[in-house]
Amino acid sequence: MGTSTDALNRESPEQRVGRLVAQLRNHALWDSLLIFSPPLLIAIYLAVYLYRGAWIAPITFLLLSGAVIGVGLLAVVVRTRPLIPSVRSAARLVDEKTKAKDRFLTLATIDVALWPAALVGRLRWEAATLLERIDFRREFPYRIKRSFYWSFLVSLIAAALFHLSMPLMGSSRRQAPAYEKLGELAEKMAQRPPLSALAHDLRTLAIKLEHPNVAEQEKQTLIHKTLEQVEKQQKKEEEKESRALLGEASSTLQGLEQQSARSQQKDAEKGGGGAQSNPSQEGQGEGKQSQGGGGDSKGELNAERSKDMQQGQGAQGDPKEQGKEKNQQSQRDGKDNQPDPSNKSDKDTGKALTGKTPGGSQEKLGRSRSEEIPQGAPPPERFYQPGEQGKEGVKGARYVTVQLPEELAADSKGEGTIGKPSKETKAYPKTPASNAPLPAYVPDAPTEKQQLPLEYRGIIR
Amino acid sequence: MEPEKFQQVFKRLEAEVRKVIVGHDDVIRQVLIAFFAGGHVLLEGVPGLGKTLLVKSLSHVLGVSFKRIQFTPDLMPSDIVGTEVLTEANGRREFQFKKGPIFAHVVLADEINRATPKTQSAVLEAMEEKQVTVFGESHTLASPFIVLATQNPIELEGTYPLPEAQLDRFFFKLMVAPPSPVELREILKRTTGTETGDAGKVLPDDGGKVINQMQQLLRQVLIAPPIEDYVVRIVHATQPNLSNSNGSTSPVKQYLRFGSSPRGAQAIILGAKGNALADGRIHVSYEDVARVIYPALRHRIILNFQAEAENVNTDEILAEVVKQVPRS
Repeated sequence: MGTSTDALNRESPEQRVGRLVAQLRNHALWDSLLIFSPPLLIAIYLAVYLYRGAWIAPITFLLLSGAVIGVGLLAVVVRTRPLIPSVRSAARLVDEKTKAKDRFLTLATIDVALWPAALVGRLRWEAATLLERIDFRREFPYRIKRSFYWSFLVSLIAAALFHLSMPLMGSSRRQAPAYEKLGELAEKMAQRPPLSALAHDLRTLAIKLEHPNVAEQEKQTLIHKTLEQVEKQQKKEEEKESRALLGEASSTLQGLEQQSARSQQKDAEKGGGGAQSNPSQEGQGEGKQSQGGGGDSKGELNAERSKDMQQGQGAQGDPKEQGKEKNQQSQRDGKDNQPDPSNKSDKDTGKALTGKTPGGSQEKLGRSRSEEIPQGAPPPERFYQPGEQGKEGVKGARYVTVQLPEELAADSKGEGTIGKPSKETKAYPKTPASNAPLPAYVPDAPTEKQQLPLEYRGIIR
Repeated sequence: MEPEKFQQVFKRLEAEVRKVIVGHDDVIRQVLIAFFAGGHVLLEGVPGLGKTLLVKSLSHVLGVSFKRIQFTPDLMPSDIVGTEVLTEANGRREFQFKKGPIFAHVVLADEINRATPKTQSAVLEAMEEKQVTVFGESHTLASPFIVLATQNPIELEGTYPLPEAQLDRFFFKLMVAPPSPVELREILKRTTGTETGDAGKVLPDDGGKVINQMQQLLRQVLIAPPIEDYVVRIVHATQPNLSNSNGSTSPVKQYLRFGSSPRGAQAIILGAKGNALADGRIHVSYEDVARVIYPALRHRIILNFQAEAENVNTDEILAEVVKQVPRS
């Protein structure tokens, strides 16, 4: 300690002024670092947040982080440089502190060689004597400036605002990445010759999806077609990477399909009041349709009855019970779709079901029937309202478009295909089936929906 | 010479002059500074303020020769610088140069503005060249040599105001202000009673050598470049055509016709050095500069008609300049 004090004392006043310049330069650097650190850290945090939330690609994250750090360092340098005191300024500060009447300024700035050495030596001695009065660390301590607190506060507010605005940004940006992702997948697939055709389709789809003038239904049809192709290709494909690509494309397309279906459903609800929001209107609509296609409705009603009967016999074996349940089902269905209490007959229920069935549109279904039709007795809870508590605790039940099997539909038109498996057609199950989801892209598909328990959704997909 | 010796002599000179002159401490100090800086001083004040007595006392304490010239309209240059007169010595007649009153160490040019410009210019030439030429023969003036001219700001009728070029040759222009009541009482006490204060000699009769050493030391005083820059900025700021052209009505632009010459900057620096030495310092500080800005520049900036019409004086403008020019 004593040695360092001696060393300090041996330093000339000019050197001491130089040390003060270095000290003040460090202060300026700390000031700048403290001011720019909070926004820098917040910016990096936001970049990490966006990256982890898959909002930005890894390369974008790296570039963004690099740019933020670069800009931060540049800002520190730009702010620090003018704040670094000159030797003159530091000497004047020492003069003020020691009341040296510009002795340090003179010593720090004159060209010693041009002046009489005796006078310079004397001035140096005077300055050194004055220096003993002060301690630079005590006289020029580092204090955190108010600007740091402001910077910290503003950065926190910015981060909070970002988090608050994230949901809004999310809703506005939800659709866009899917299109982009399709484009990216198309690019990747185009590099693999077996998938080049599919890549072309995907690219076309991406372009159409981005185009605002393309109708929603057309988009949905395209999505579905492409999804079918992708799934077919996925089954054929043996290469692992290609399968992964196809899997990714499939999941993206499924997501898009769901989005499209959801938006269409919303549109329908907005337009005619919707099946759930205005049941009486729905009932009227169904009635009209039933009148228009009387033949169909009969056949479908029969099919529904026979199916229910078969399922009831197979699963429960008690005709009374089954009859009760069927009655309950019919009543509930009537309640859901037609609030008129007098309209509870099976006929009406059949009409309602028939109204949802467009003729001859089943060829467009791209999935295997055996996969889609639920096996076993359908639990009556499937007809509960969304969120309504059933026997098995079914919650959050949703709706699905139901269509009768094409055989029954054909039969009702007089083609009579039930029980006659032809060689040309695939082996469809003979059992009349319900709850088979209609593809949403069917052009003439009615907007009416029927309840479907949640546990069946996976099976139908 | 050691700085301490300078300060000691300076303090004693001041003290001795103060025995005779009541008040005017700044004037005494600045006259001494100008003397050691090798400059001449223009003293301006109404009659009866002790201007002549100050100069007499100064020459007395310095132990140097003193001559007084009362300037009148009929005063001729030869009356000041001297002339060739025909003399007879050893039966032979010859012209001999008869030195005028200018050949003294301290010359009091009393009411210099009453002489004709021709006579004034003869004095001013001697002040600048420190030699006179009579009938083709040059005669060097005494060293040290200082002219202390006085000027009466009233009774301007029949006077010949000094031209700007000649004013510029004065190192300082000092304003001799009327005494304060306390000072006046002291003046009365000293002059109307039996007790009279006499200034003693500080330097011996051959004090010229000491004075020269003191003058040399003054020029060796250290001055920092930033302080020199400040002086330059001050002088530059007095130029009405060059000062800040931001469209504002600065007093320099508004009231000045001409700014200071480079001699103004020289006078400031040398005056500041003298001031530093008088305070026992061997370096110039900003305070030293501030103390000599007014006496060094007030006669070097020329007011315009508007300033005279509005009764604006040069000190007010200089105060504004000092306020506007930053020290660093």
